[in-house]
Amino acid sequence: MNLYKIISGFFFILAMTINFGFFYGNPIILAQHSSIELFAAIVINLIATVLKLGDKTQLGAVLLATSLVADIQLIASATVWTFAEYLTKSISVEAVTAIISLSGGALIANTISVILFIGDTLKSKR
Amino acid sequence: MNNQIFWIVLKRLRIPFLVIIVTFTISIIGMVLIPGVTSNGKPYHFSFFDAFYFVSYMATTIGFGEEPYAFTYPQRIWVSFSIYLTVIGWFYGIGTIISLIQDNALRKAISKNRFTKQIQYLSQKFIIILGYNNITKSIIEHINSQDLRTVVLDKDEIKIDQLVLNNFFPNVPAFVGQATDQQILKMAGINHKNCIGIVSLFENDIQNLKIATICRMLNKKIDIIVKSTSRQHTQLLLDMGLKHIQNPFDIISKRLYYGIIAPHIWLLEMWVYGNTLQLRHKDSFPKGKYIIFGKGRMGQAIIDGLNLADIQYTLYDATSQEYAQNKQSMVFGDTDDIKTLTDLGVTSAACIIAATRDDLFNLTVLKQAKILNPNIFTIARENSLEDTSIFQVSRIDKVFINEKILADITYNFLSRPLATYFIQEIRKQNEVWAEKLVANMKEMIGATAGYFELQVNLDETYALWLRLDNREAITLKDILRLRENRNSYSPVICLLALRDGTTHLLPNLNFNIQKDDKLLFAANAEAFEDLLYIINNIYELDYILNKNTLHPNWLFSKVFQSSKDKTAS
Repeated sequence: MNLYKIISGFFFILAMTINFGFFYGNPIILAQHSSIELFAAIVINLIATVLKLGDKTQLGAVLLATSLVADIQLIASATVWTFAEYLTKSISVEAVTAIISLSGGALIANTISVILFIGDTLKSKR
Repeated sequence: MNNQIFWIVLKRLRIPFLVIIVTFTISIIGMVLIPGVTSNGKPYHFSFFDAFYFVSYMATTIGFGEEPYAFTYPQRIWVSFSIYLTVIGWFYGIGTIISLIQDNALRKAISKNRFTKQIQYLSQKFIIILGYNNITKSIIEHINSQDLRTVVLDKDEIKIDQLVLNNFFPNVPAFVGQATDQQILKMAGINHKNCIGIVSLFENDIQNLKIATICRMLNKKIDIIVKSTSRQHTQLLLDMGLKHIQNPFDIISKRLYYGIIAPHIWLLEMWVYGNTLQLRHKDSFPKGKYIIFGKGRMGQAIIDGLNLADIQYTLYDATSQEYAQNKQSMVFGDTDDIKTLTDLGVTSAACIIAATRDDLFNLTVLKQAKILNPNIFTIARENSLEDTSIFQVSRIDKVFINEKILADITYNFLSRPLATYFIQEIRKQNEVWAEKLVANMKEMIGATAGYFELQVNLDETYALWLRLDNREAITLKDILRLRENRNSYSPVICLLALRDGTTHLLPNLNFNIQKDDKLLFAANAEAFEDLLYIINNIYELDYILNKNTLHPNWLFSKVFQSSKDKTAS
């Protein structure tokens, strides 16, 4: 039992599940996707990234990389939403699909990250 | 990036980053949840973007005001709470990040990284110099004027700072580190393919020996130039197969010997080190009784030299420390001292040598001797390079500076490989031979003759190489000609030729030049430039060799010829 492992594992998995929560729903209807969930996904992902900082091992480097990918995808998703809402006044179907599919990409990155994390845990003897 | 320190610092950045993220998130969520009112009185909720925008300028204390509408009281209560939360979080986070970036260990790691990169990308041949001081500084200056680079290691950070402030050009990569540390030596590029040598001239013989051993283990190919002042250390170094062991005292002993026995050999040797070919009164040491003050390593070396030259001497065994203890003073010259000098026979002696380790003591001894016997020849040992000016104004006939001797020899060894051979060879000759050579050089070139080296290869002697490649026999006589008139010789003297490890001193003019010969010339700069021009330019060489099959304006003649052919047909 390692407190740091619990906290980091919690955030890695939470980042994936919240991301999934936002992604789940009809990809052309924005009303089925909550902005609060997107915000939460971004924050949890950033925290997960920070928790992965400074691990010198090969696995640590890959984990950090997947996390950075997820961050960029989610922030891009939020940026597209902001642009669509405030600059073009109405949110087109194209913008909606872009927002959702960007978060879908982040979901894949987060899934990989969680799989790697679980794999590492299973591999260790203790 | 593969540095341990880098990852440790990155790990320490976790907490400040987390603090910033969490405080921002709490404030943003609060701003989104609390309802506001538009200017028309309609209810209004902050969007995430509005909240992010507001919190960003609030937390960083930029503060643009209440946007987009004036806040309601519940909003203001939340804002006053989150100001303290985010501003404190922000300052803590940013402060920690900045102090971590300035972390000493991290900065060292970064400078180490930079140093390693600099070494990796050195494309010229380079020499590692251990220790930065006055000797190595003058070596660096000499080397930098050649097509060679230097890398410096010193354990003292202040010395490295001095080097950086010195603004050498080309830049000298330097790093703080123990010269006996293998890791540091590897980092300085001892295994780099362009590393050709390492110079270790520390005061401490044992340290030099240690460094030489480590370097020999790390790289068998490079030249190791090392100082050694005692016999048993020199023997150990010789056993290791080192050829370039420098003992400044040994050099002084040899110089004294040649200065007495054969001033012209000594003159030629000094010429190699950059002096003119003029034998001044000061340069020939007198033959008579010598008085030596101080019996240290230098005194011993002087005795060896005098014994070899069969000169009488009296030794006064006084160390400067003893004198300082007895008299509480470093200034030589009270009545007792004058008596000591007269007892030693200063009035009848030809030369007095002050060889103690204290500069002031040496100076005052010589001054007193000069008062007692105005005709006496004075030789001083100078220990610190800082006060050269005192020695210059004190009218001492000859000053030996260990540091300068070492610097000169090392520089010669590194950038004038033939000089060592030349000096070895001339020492085997006698005074008459040397006098003749000097007279010859002075007559042909003048007293300011320059020292030049040349290797017969494709880079340095293009045209000559091509001809030699065709198995043509070319002698020195063929190329040492005037460009203006190929029938007369140019004022260039070939002093030494080195072929497959055998030296030919003063090769005669029928000496056949072969590929990869190393030649040493005495000439003035202009004549040598002409020589370089001749052996690098095909047409010039054709003319000089009188094998001038092409018209100098061969392009013009070709055009001319072809038009003539046309009219003929």
